[in-house]
Amino acid sequence: MKLTLVESGGLAAGLRLGRPPLVLDLSTLPEADARELADLVSVARQAPAAAESSRRVPDEMSYTITVDDGEAQEALHRSDTTMSQGFAELVDRLHRLASSG
Amino acid sequence: MTEKRVLNCIVPPHILAKLLESSDAEIREAAMRTLLTTMRLQGEREVRATLLGRAAPAEGRRTVYDCRHSTFLPSAVLARSEDGASSGDDSVNRAFDGFGATRQFYLEIMGRNSIDDRGMRLDGYVHRGVDYNNAFWDGQEMVFGDGDGRIFSDFTGSLDVIGHELTHGVTEHTAGLEYHNQSGALNESMSDVMGCLVKQWTMRQTAEDADWLIGAEVFTPGFDGDALRSLKAPGTAYDNDTFGKDPQPDHMDGYLELPDTDEGDNGGVHLNSGIPNHAFYQAAVGIGGYAWEAAGHIWYESLRASTPTTDFQAFADTTVGKAGDLYGSSEQDAVRDAWDHVGISVSSGTARRRPPVSVPGGNGTTAEVARDMDQLLAQVERLRQDLHLPA
Ligand SMILES: [Zn+2]
Repeated sequence: MKLTLVESGGLAAGLRLGRPPLVLDLSTLPEADARELADLVSVARQAPAAAESSRRVPDEMSYTITVDDGEAQEALHRSDTTMSQGFAELVDRLHRLASSG
Repeated sequence: MTEKRVLNCIVPPHILAKLLESSDAEIREAAMRTLLTTMRLQGEREVRATLLGRAAPAEGRRTVYDCRHSTFLPSAVLARSEDGASSGDDSVNRAFDGFGATRQFYLEIMGRNSIDDRGMRLDGYVHRGVDYNNAFWDGQEMVFGDGDGRIFSDFTGSLDVIGHELTHGVTEHTAGLEYHNQSGALNESMSDVMGCLVKQWTMRQTAEDADWLIGAEVFTPGFDGDALRSLKAPGTAYDNDTFGKDPQPDHMDGYLELPDTDEGDNGGVHLNSGIPNHAFYQAAVGIGGYAWEAAGHIWYESLRASTPTTDFQAFADTTVGKAGDLYGSSEQDAVRDAWDHVGISVSSGTARRRPPVSVPGGNGTTAEVARDMDQLLAQVERLRQDLHLPA
C-alpha cells in the first residue's frame, strides 16, 4: 500500500503551493509501523467528512490522502474543520514517519 | 430659519453624546455643533476618547482554551477568561493579550465594538493538534497551532497574525467578501492590512518606520527568510531552497491565475493579496504619518462599503471615493497613485464632491455615533486646513 499526502491552504498557503507531496510506501516500513498505518487508514476511511458549510473557512488547511493498494486508488479529502480525529491522527503519523525516514 | 444654537462648551462630551440621541432634532443639531466646536478647542483625541470610553467597556469578552494537542475543539479546557488570573502558559497569555490589543484597536481607532460591532465574545483555542503549522478563523473562534518546531513556531507569537485572524471575523460581519479569487484576495489583504495596523498602533510606529511584515515571529531561527508576507515588498519575504521564492505579486502584471480549488488556494487568495497589500502600503507611505489614521480609516470604511463580490477595481474605486469624502484631495491623490503603482487605475471621474458638514441621525448606537465621529473628525481637519488654523 502506498499513501500520498497533499496539504494546501492555510495562513502559510504561499509556502505550501507547489511543494512535493509526502509519499510513503508501506512495504518499505518496519512491519509494526506499516500495520499501524493500515489500521489508521481504515479508521480514517470509515469516518466521513463532517458536513461542510457553504462558506469557506478563512485560513483553514485542506488535506488529500490518496490510498493506493496496487489495484485501486481512493482519495480522502478533508479540511481542518471537517476531519475526524482519526483522520488527524493519520496525518500526524504520516508526518512523523516521513520526518524520521 | 432660527438662529443656530451652540451649547456651552463646558458641557462634557459624554453628555453631548447623550444629547445626540435626543428625540428633539434641534437639540441633536446643537449638540453636534457644540461637539465640532469643542473638538476645535480641546483637540480631537480627547473628545474621541471620552466618547469611545462609553462604548460598552466590558464587551468583546475574551476566553482562551487549551486544546491540549487535540484537533477536537469541544474537548479543550478553559485556560484564561476575561476576569481570571493570567496563565502559566505563554501561548494562552499571548492569545489573550493579542485579542485585547486588537479589540482596543478596533474600538479606539475604528469605533468598532468587537468583531460584529455588537460586543461579540472573543474565543481562542491554542495548542491545536500536533505540530500544527497554522492558525485560522472558523466563523466563531480563532484557532492557533504550536508549529512543528523545525520551521514554524507558535502561531500566537505574532500580534499581526492575531489581528489577521480577528479581522477575518470583522470582514465576515461587514462586506462578507467571498473567500475565492479577487474578493478572497481582498479578504486576505484586509486581514494583513489590519494585522499590520494593530501591531503598528501598539508600537506607535509610523508607516515609514514599520517593517510591514506578516508573521515574522511564527518562524524558528531555522527558517531562512523574514516572514510569511511583506506588504512593503511582496515577493521578498523569503527565498530559500526548501520553499523557493515568496510567490506574491506586487502588481497586476504578476496576477496569478490559480484554480478555484483547495489546492489552488481558492484562486490564490494568499498570493494575489500581495497586490492590494502593496497598494495599501503605498497609500500609507504616500499620505505619511501613522498608517492607522487616514489610510487605515479609508480602507476600513471601504470594507464597510463593499459587498461579497467586490473585486480589486471596485475596491480601488471605493477607496479613492472614501479618501475624498473623509479627507481631502491630497489623500485622494495619494490613494489613486497607490493603486496606479500596482497597475489598477482609478479615473478621476470616480472622485466625489465633499459632502457638507451634516448632523448624524440621533437614534444611533454609541458605535454608530463613534463612526459618525470619524467622518466628523475628517471634516474638522479639513476645516482646520481651510482656515489655516494650527493643528
Ligand atoms: Zn487569512
